[in-house]
Amino acid sequence: MAIPALQIKDVSKDFGRIIALRGINLSVDPGEFVSILGRNGAGKTTLLNIISGVSQPSEGSVELFGSDPSDRQNKAKLAVISHEMFLYDNLTAMENLEYYSRIYNVPDSAVRVEQVLRDIELTHRRFDLVSTYSRGMTQRLTIARALLHEPALLLLDEPFTGLDQHAIGMLINLLRKQREKGRTILLTTHDLHTAKELSDRFIILEKHRIVKDGMMADTDPDKIRNEFFSASTAGVEV
Amino acid sequence: MRSKIDKFLLIVLFPAFLTCMYLIFQWVPQIKASNPAEQIAQRIFYFHVPSAWLGFLAFFVVFCASVAYLATRNRRYELISVASAEIGVLFISLVLITGPIWAKPVWGIWWTWDVRLTSSLILWLIYVAFLMLRRYLPDGSKRANLSAVVGIIGFIDVPIVYYSIRWWETQHPKAVMASSEGSLAAPMFFAFMFSLATFTLLYVYLIRKRYQLLKLEDMLNKQFKEMEIL
Amino acid sequence: MRAAIAIVKKDLRMEFRSKESILAMWIFSLLIFVIFNFTFEVSRLVMLEIAPGLLWVAFVFSGMFGLNHSFALEKENGNLRAMALMPVDGGQIYVGKFLSVTLIMLMFEALIFPVFIIFYDLQLSLQTFKLIPVLLGGTIGFTSLGTILSAVAVHTRNQQILLSLLLWPLVSPIIIWSVTLTGMVLGGEITASFYPLLTRVVAFDVIFFTLSYMLFDFILED
Repeated sequence: MAIPALQIKDVSKDFGRIIALRGINLSVDPGEFVSILGRNGAGKTTLLNIISGVSQPSEGSVELFGSDPSDRQNKAKLAVISHEMFLYDNLTAMENLEYYSRIYNVPDSAVRVEQVLRDIELTHRRFDLVSTYSRGMTQRLTIARALLHEPALLLLDEPFTGLDQHAIGMLINLLRKQREKGRTILLTTHDLHTAKELSDRFIILEKHRIVKDGMMADTDPDKIRNEFFSASTAGVEV
Repeated sequence: MRSKIDKFLLIVLFPAFLTCMYLIFQWVPQIKASNPAEQIAQRIFYFHVPSAWLGFLAFFVVFCASVAYLATRNRRYELISVASAEIGVLFISLVLITGPIWAKPVWGIWWTWDVRLTSSLILWLIYVAFLMLRRYLPDGSKRANLSAVVGIIGFIDVPIVYYSIRWWETQHPKAVMASSEGSLAAPMFFAFMFSLATFTLLYVYLIRKRYQLLKLEDMLNKQFKEMEIL
Repeated sequence: MRAAIAIVKKDLRMEFRSKESILAMWIFSLLIFVIFNFTFEVSRLVMLEIAPGLLWVAFVFSGMFGLNHSFALEKENGNLRAMALMPVDGGQIYVGKFLSVTLIMLMFEALIFPVFIIFYDLQLSLQTFKLIPVLLGGTIGFTSLGTILSAVAVHTRNQQILLSLLLWPLVSPIIIWSVTLTGMVLGGEITASFYPLLTRVVAFDVIFFTLSYMLFDFILED
């Protein structure tokens, strides 16, 4: 078997008065699509931060394609999509993408930029400032920006929250395409049905630990909901 | 073990401070000065200089703890740096208070923009900013990182600040210990050293207590958190 | 250097696009000259003595403005986190931000200085060119510390006040030296202490640039 895309061993994040993660073990193979489910505050975002190397675990080790994620060179292999846009309002779509393609040293950047603009159907607005965009358009551009350097590992932190229907459909399509290309994808979400539709595997984080790790194919989303996000705990996030 | 050391320190500190008072106000001979007010005011020196020394020591500890934190990411060093910065600010505040009390009868003014005075004030401002920064940030590893960076930059800046204003004329009394001529008479020297030692012990005691308190706070918060989790 | 240059280009492009901030800074500096003139009604002789200080007050205030602006841009839309995710060293990102802030501040200085000369009727001579290394040295010192401290302050809710609190005391040596050196040049009395003092300025720049370069990674990290 090849090196796993992601190998997390006994990771805890426990700083001062804050407990975020405890004894996390997770191995993801290249090409897998894993959904991370759990309530707010269960540690999903912290887990993604540790995987992306932005945050240091207090204990344990993380390996991304066999090397340390806080190693700067390694970061070219991953992309993050979250509620944060990572875009400059005072630049055009074109300028934003050109900037990031220079930072990520994207080969043939002009061609690549054009290509992603076409994928998100924004070619006609590419010379307009991002500040003039509608919310949905900005979100599409965010997705394009993340895919610009063809990351081998995609980390999606609640990417569907706040998206309009059009953008959701587009994101789902793009994610399917990414999956076909053999990219590894980790997705945190509250939407169990979308998770089922997209991913092969899921893990459930509860109280800072992984409480379930299973395959999507033989699971019924409603059963997960009843088991882990039962009405007694308000069902706020489900 | 920990509490034993603290108890010992406390037992030593009480009589030490009483002795300090006796030495400073009774035992040390009156200095010769034309101005009678100056004769009394001079005794503030035994508090003023040890406070300044402790301020520097405390900030040096902030620097070391900040470096140690960035190297290890151990919460322990973050807590030490905060504890030490707080105590340092306290002592430099004492310096800034006792200085003018002495200066008024002797120089006739509370304050002058002299090297020592200005650099002490800037020093105080640097570490007040350090503590303010921590107030503005939520607890977590981000805050620990940011304050460690400021703790390092701040300390590197301290000698530069002093150096930068040195070309100004100074009115401030010379570092008495250093010069052979006009150096302290033997009893004064003894009283000063005694006071310095007592203050340093006080620092050790205070930082231990503050550190323990911060750690207890952490533990308590964590326990609440665990209760929530379970 | 590729990433640093990309950051500089991006920053300058945005700065020139929203010309308001450049204009606002320039007007602000004018105001400083005017207000000082009203509040301290002094003779021309005294004015000449405080003029170097006044010039640096204007520089530093507009520099503060520039620093706040530059990092407010990085905060919007979470771009600071995007920087933490970049496949380049924190040091490179620091160099990029440092360069863009420095270039913008130097540009302001070039715009403010002529006004200053006119307002205070200063005599220009060949000597005046010695002001160039002074302005460069002082500005670089200010921005090298300012860049890293803005990156710290931007994480708080009260970015602007905190930047002032952190930066003013720490940057005071470089301001003191720069004012002294500027006074020497403008007063036409360049003494023997001019070059040693200038060397100190350069030493300060080197120390804080290097220190910030090494520490910037820790600021981006969570």
